[in-house]
Amino acid sequence: MKTFAIIPAYNEEKNIREVIKKVKKYVKHIVVVDDGSKDNTYETAKKEKIPVLRHVINLGKGGALKTGCEFAIKNLATNLILIDSDMQHDPNEIPRFLKELKNVDIVFGYRKIDKTMPAILRFGNWFINASAKLLYGLNLYDTTCGYRALTTSTYKKIRWETTGYFVEGEMIANVGREHLSFAQIPIQTIYSDKYKGTNVLDGMQIVLNMILWRLRK
Amino acid sequence: MIIGIQIIGILFSLFMIYYTFIHYKKNEFTVKESVFWFVIWTLFLFLTLVPQILDPVISTLRIARTLDLFVILGFMFLIGCVIYTYGLVRINQKRLDGIVRKVAFDIEKKEQKK
Repeated sequence: MKTFAIIPAYNEEKNIREVIKKVKKYVKHIVVVDDGSKDNTYETAKKEKIPVLRHVINLGKGGALKTGCEFAIKNLATNLILIDSDMQHDPNEIPRFLKELKNVDIVFGYRKIDKTMPAILRFGNWFINASAKLLYGLNLYDTTCGYRALTTSTYKKIRWETTGYFVEGEMIANVGREHLSFAQIPIQTIYSDKYKGTNVLDGMQIVLNMILWRLRK
Repeated sequence: MIIGIQIIGILFSLFMIYYTFIHYKKNEFTVKESVFWFVIWTLFLFLTLVPQILDPVISTLRIARTLDLFVILGFMFLIGCVIYTYGLVRINQKRLDGIVRKVAFDIEKKEQKK
């Protein structure tokens, strides 16, 4: 089993090194995709002596994840761990993801809904989750959490086209379409920046896209 | 007698003829493209000046006024343009995506050789 951790990064020079160091404890093969950062994310990540792919322009999270996954496949990966570079995801959870992945095609992390999650995110999440259930019949607790693990054969089935933040939604849509097995595990999340990530407008666009992806079926 | 809406139509078609001419002179439109757009805008100018010529069409289609026909055709054209542009954007997005990914792989390959 060859597991690759894929870390998309955009302007994360402050966090990227620490994330890599923590991920290294659990995964031997790591690839960072610098998605056209304006700061020194690329140079900082390179110091950790791991492959760092650099997008000459910013494509978005979906594009960066796809680049990382394609690189991992070229390097004969069997399992893929998708983890954010902003310290929102705790790399200590990686063994749990890999353990669950032995029985299913994809493992979704879900954030615990409590008071630490901003109210607007809670509402947005509920709305998107309800839409996913209605459109795809998937009962997911958290459709926008990017902490996921999947096998490369799963990746090949759910290869996404979205380059931006809607990638998580398209992944779910494709999992539903392909009738893949999945598991969900709770994860600890640290909200460092409430303006980062998926906002209300993104949420509305995700639902709109989910409808379009459903029609595409 | 020329009414207000016709004046707007005439000014618009003259401006578009000028716009096409400028693009032709800058070599941004080919001769074929330029001729196509000149014909379109000249036809539009002609129909604005002599809208009565469309009366048989309007009565056949049971449209109340010539202006309504122009509005309907305008909307159809715009919707067509939006869908065409959407398709074009999607194609270019995919191409760009592929190019950026290829460049990223090439840079990494060079770095590994160093």
